[in-house]
Amino acid sequence: MTLEFPYTRTTGPVVGPFLTALRDGKILGGRCGDRVLCPPLEYEPETGAALEPDFVEVGPGGVVRSWTWVAEPTPKHPFDSPFAFALIQLDGADTPFVHAVDAGSIDAMSTGMRVAAQFREEREGAITDVYFVPEASATAQEVTPGDEPVRITTHLVALTISEPLYPHRVRFAEGLLKGRIIGQRSPVSGKVYVPSSGYDNLSRAEMTEADDVEVADRGSVSSFTVITPIQYYGQKETEPYIRASILLDGADSPIIGVDVRNIPVDEFRVGLRLQAIWKPPGDRDVSELGNRFGGAWEGVLERWEPTGEPDADPRPLQEFAF
Amino acid sequence: MSTTPRDVAIVATSQTPSYRLFNDSEPKLIMRCVNDILERTGLDRSELQFTIAGSCDYLSGMPFAFVSNIDGVGAWPPVYESHVEMDAAWALNEAWLRLQLGDIDVALVIGSGKSSPGRPREVFPLQTDPYVMAPLGLDPVSLAGIQARALLDAGIATERDFAEVVSRSRRDAQSNPNAQVAKDVPVDELLDQPYFSAPLRKHDLPPISDGAAAVVLAVGDRAREISERPAWIRGIDHRIESHHPGLRDLTTSTSTAQAAAGAGVSAGPVDVAELMVNYSPEEIVLRRALGLDDATRVNPSGGPLAGHPVMATGLVRILEAANRISAGEAQRAVAHASSGPCLQQNLVCVLEGEG
Repeated sequence: MTLEFPYTRTTGPVVGPFLTALRDGKILGGRCGDRVLCPPLEYEPETGAALEPDFVEVGPGGVVRSWTWVAEPTPKHPFDSPFAFALIQLDGADTPFVHAVDAGSIDAMSTGMRVAAQFREEREGAITDVYFVPEASATAQEVTPGDEPVRITTHLVALTISEPLYPHRVRFAEGLLKGRIIGQRSPVSGKVYVPSSGYDNLSRAEMTEADDVEVADRGSVSSFTVITPIQYYGQKETEPYIRASILLDGADSPIIGVDVRNIPVDEFRVGLRLQAIWKPPGDRDVSELGNRFGGAWEGVLERWEPTGEPDADPRPLQEFAF
Repeated sequence: MSTTPRDVAIVATSQTPSYRLFNDSEPKLIMRCVNDILERTGLDRSELQFTIAGSCDYLSGMPFAFVSNIDGVGAWPPVYESHVEMDAAWALNEAWLRLQLGDIDVALVIGSGKSSPGRPREVFPLQTDPYVMAPLGLDPVSLAGIQARALLDAGIATERDFAEVVSRSRRDAQSNPNAQVAKDVPVDELLDQPYFSAPLRKHDLPPISDGAAAVVLAVGDRAREISERPAWIRGIDHRIESHHPGLRDLTTSTSTAQAAAGAGVSAGPVDVAELMVNYSPEEIVLRRALGLDDATRVNPSGGPLAGHPVMATGLVRILEAANRISAGEAQRAVAHASSGPCLQQNLVCVLEGEG
């Protein structure tokens, strides 16, 4: 599973010109008293006092003050093959900053060595527009400046998460494949949780396989909401849809976030009796089931269908809204 | 708050082992600690008047994971509750402050983390500067490598010194039932290993761990009721430095020295120090910044090199130091926790036994 967080940030009066210059093939430092800081800062680092932006071009050459050799780069690093991260003090700057050196081999790296900036073909006004190489292997570059100043940066954070299903989730998934809904009965309170979190959160009691119980695949709507999709990053929905909580017969906690598409919004109501319509056994898929919220019902059920029974009394269902 | 702080002690502790992979939920890890502590102290959940947790949703990649974690603490009956998106050593600092308000006497501090589902070297760049560092995927291992090289270049340490920290820590961890990496490996054997982030080798790094820890704090006579030998918090302070590594001297830790002065480390002998040494070179920096000499036993638990349940690791340092005092093995101990790359932010806590 990959979680994405698309961050958009304004750049402000100092980072903005710094990133704009990178896009245009230049590196800026900022004056701070009689020092030049690179990257430039909006404030004096020791006191936090505001600094008036006062830029000075630094580099493109500089000296490595310390470094490490990254033998196994991550997918987030600037290079696929081994490279150095180094503290680089550019000519004209009094402070070093960390950046990547594409040196080819650890043997090409040493503290005190000279490096020079190289700009990437595709630049977007980001710190990744530039990288460094040993000065002797730097090539002269013709960099065409862009038009508008860089006022916004985007940074898509994507984190890949993978973990095995917890034991109680494995048993829940195996039940779904057989057309059975497995919950757990608290050995302390006797309440039945579906799907179970593997513990009773009121008594802080862990539950085991001995506490597994099967509940009915029918129940009563205990709450619902009609969601009108807003077109944010990652949104796949375009039309309004229902998300319902259903209290299954024999359970003391509702299943939540159940996707309902087949029942008109104006006929949907708390107390409505529903029956799960299972997919044929060979078509059931629990691959979307993780350890997180929800039960991946869409992978194993065709739909929830009204049973035609009289509605359940909605008043006690208030306790099971979520 | 009066000008004289109320005396606060650590009166009970619990921790899970550090697991490479705990195949169940974070609330369950927490629940085990809380139930253990309640059972051993005889306290009722309702007697924990304030609870605070330190955890990080990014680690397990579950938005609002910190809310589910309250299941483990015990959501019922309702309680004053707080959370820090920091190592739980800082949660302990907040609990200490909360107890200073004077209206409550007992607080529970929880730290928990599951690093196993994610890729820590890709998660932690998110705590760096979002303009000039995070887009480079600048990870704490690489930054620790840069710090290690600075120590070598300055003549402060050698690669053998790094290996000695690792060898001693993991040998000592053999007597720690909660340790994840515990073995006796000679220094020369360690130095034969290939570099991972030169000059660091893989063993200079902490393991990837899942785990949780819990600590009960209590005030004055209430502390003496709960524990036969409370570990009194005589000083606690935390300081931070620039997040730009280039603006710091990486061969020292100014913020640790400041926090040590604030907590009063030098006011007496230090029997035991539990230091948050995530990367072996950090021990060399921390010993110097804290002014510790060979009379102090450092990381008898094995420290984070033996188990690193992120967000609990710092709290475990305080817990281990407190356990030494409560067991009568130490009279005065120092615990240290760190946050951010290259020891950017540091907390120092001085603990003492009575009599």
